[in-house]
Amino acid sequence: MSGFTKQGPRNDTPYTPTAGVGRRRAGDLSWYQRRQLTGVLCVLPAALFITLFFFIPLVLAFWMSLYRWPLLGIHKFIGVANYVAAFHDSTFLHAAGFTAEYTLIITPILLIVGLILALLVKGSRRGTGFFRTVYFLPVPIGFASASFLWVWLVQPDVGPFGRILQMMHLVAQPPQWLAATASALFVVIAMVTWKTSGMQMILLMSGMQAIPTELEEAARVDGAGRWQVFFHITLPLLRPTLALVLVFSVAGSLLAFDQFYIITGGGPSNSTITAVYWIYHTSFVTFQLGYGSALSILLMLVLAAVSFVQLRLIHRSTEF
Amino acid sequence: MWARDSQKTFIGDLTKAFNKSHTDVQLRVDLIPASNFVQKFGTAVGSGSGPDVVSIDLVYLPYFSSVGALEDITDRANTLSYKSGLDPAHMRLATYKGKLYALPFTSEASVLYYNKTLFKKAGLDPDKPPKTWADIETAARKIRELGDGYYGYVFSGACAGCNAFTFMPYIWASGGDVLKGRGDNPKPTFDSSIITEALSLYRRMWQQGVMAPLSRTDQGSNAGPAFASGKIGIYGSGAFFIPTLSKAKGFEWAVTPIPGKSGGYASFAGGDEIAIPKTSKNKDAAWSVIKWATGKDAQSVLAHDGIVPIRTDLLKSIYEPLNPNYPALARAMLRGRTPYSTVYNALFNDNNGPWITMIDDAVFKGNIEQAQRSAQQKALDIVSSGTSG
Repeated sequence: MSGFTKQGPRNDTPYTPTAGVGRRRAGDLSWYQRRQLTGVLCVLPAALFITLFFFIPLVLAFWMSLYRWPLLGIHKFIGVANYVAAFHDSTFLHAAGFTAEYTLIITPILLIVGLILALLVKGSRRGTGFFRTVYFLPVPIGFASASFLWVWLVQPDVGPFGRILQMMHLVAQPPQWLAATASALFVVIAMVTWKTSGMQMILLMSGMQAIPTELEEAARVDGAGRWQVFFHITLPLLRPTLALVLVFSVAGSLLAFDQFYIITGGGPSNSTITAVYWIYHTSFVTFQLGYGSALSILLMLVLAAVSFVQLRLIHRSTEF
Repeated sequence: MWARDSQKTFIGDLTKAFNKSHTDVQLRVDLIPASNFVQKFGTAVGSGSGPDVVSIDLVYLPYFSSVGALEDITDRANTLSYKSGLDPAHMRLATYKGKLYALPFTSEASVLYYNKTLFKKAGLDPDKPPKTWADIETAARKIRELGDGYYGYVFSGACAGCNAFTFMPYIWASGGDVLKGRGDNPKPTFDSSIITEALSLYRRMWQQGVMAPLSRTDQGSNAGPAFASGKIGIYGSGAFFIPTLSKAKGFEWAVTPIPGKSGGYASFAGGDEIAIPKTSKNKDAAWSVIKWATGKDAQSVLAHDGIVPIRTDLLKSIYEPLNPNYPALARAMLRGRTPYSTVYNALFNDNNGPWITMIDDAVFKGNIEQAQRSAQQKALDIVSSGTSG
């Protein structure tokens, strides 16, 4: 995993003219050209995939965003009218704000929970393997299935959460978790934390394990306490991994959809509609594919900007 | 042929019956999840693929007819001897600009289910179901007074379609409506005073704790089982609920029409219609399926599977004798109405749309007037953007 973030030594073996020169014939590719060709062939499948599944749809979406484009019927060129409409669409603006709010709340939670879990399971004491597995177990569950599971868990009449609180005499009636915005958001955040912090844990743990133990030991010898070691040695050296985790989690949160679609249905009173939710809604409930495309393009621009800023900040901070 | 997955219970029987009686045409049914039927069918027609016959929720017919997705079958339908016996609400939805694009296939009517055992327990006459809104309110309150765990009324407060089905009849039966005027895209009347009164009825029952708490968040799947558990007095639903309820034990129940404010009754005419997509490659075979599906044999198969037939001329002979509750459903069906709009989905069926948002804001938060005003504005926006497109 560390190869992801660290710059390994360049693998350029210097060209040695003695090898193969004698066998070279006219029309043959030079070693350098062959090497280039191999490189092109190696990236070709990936490039094809990206063209087919990213660039072409992107261009298509942009093209559609300039049209009034119903699912059925005739489409009509309307220029940037869809983009102008987006800034007057109160639901979309609210959805964008809510998505930002959700991202701001969940990102630190995921990071801190992931860090704590990673600290707990990074050692090689007996049993850590077991806990690693336990914490990681929710990760491979699909978002949709996990959401349905939680819908049932918090259901006031049949779900166990309300029943447990009632048995502990903390509440008189099983609470209606999904009836208020704050508690509905809380349920979603709890579900997402449960489901994705295992992934963050694994990433951060491998980052921690890549830190040479000599550094920590040296700090200990110099008289640093546990927390000092953590804040002055581990955390700074973990920066590249933290950056990776952060970019993943922010992008994932800005694109949140399934969890809200399934758990809250955008409710109560449309207060938990996210940006992607609204894009889905305009495209497939009201069939305005052109407008939906315009919203997607806007969201993509925001996402690109946010990721760019994050990577810039991180890039600067890794230069010691 | 394409059908919704919710039709699974009877479509198999029907296919078997068709294939047995036909040698030249054979029918194969693909079930499509109901929740994304419209976009699946829309994209299929848009790309020129798709089925030879399609069974569509009738509320979507104005939309699909208006965008030219369906074959005009006016002339073919005129050859049917029983055309006048077909359910008028279905026929109205299948007509666009004077042309017919589908024929009725299955019907569904909305009624109130009430728990006779609880009525008796609360000191009410179990053979006198509520006939006015005041009756409903009194009965619900008395049942709530039985104590903890008993509730007078339940509905699915987070399910847009459910409330089109069970809340609109209250409005219609009292002389009101949700859309005004004829034409393809009538204006919404969400801010009318009769809707204020209907919402106030629900609001009072909610505020007094007469309604089961799950009403607020239920997306459609929990209210029915709650009634079937025997703890709820009154619940609005359709014929499709009878099989579930027949399995419920420990209490007696019955069916009664959804009443108006001071009497009368109304019902939502739901169900499916069967049509030939423009892109169908076997139009004559498709027509033979449609003709058969609206005929007596097919409709009898449906009746036996608990579906209300769309042949008003056959209700008495093939449907009502099968179950003591069926006559009430048949009566409701004859009084059935369906809002006609090419933007029906966005107005009424969308779980984030104006219809359900209005009900949620009014019933659970209490700001009825403001809920109606903002829903009316949203609905007007939808209607006007729909017509210009």
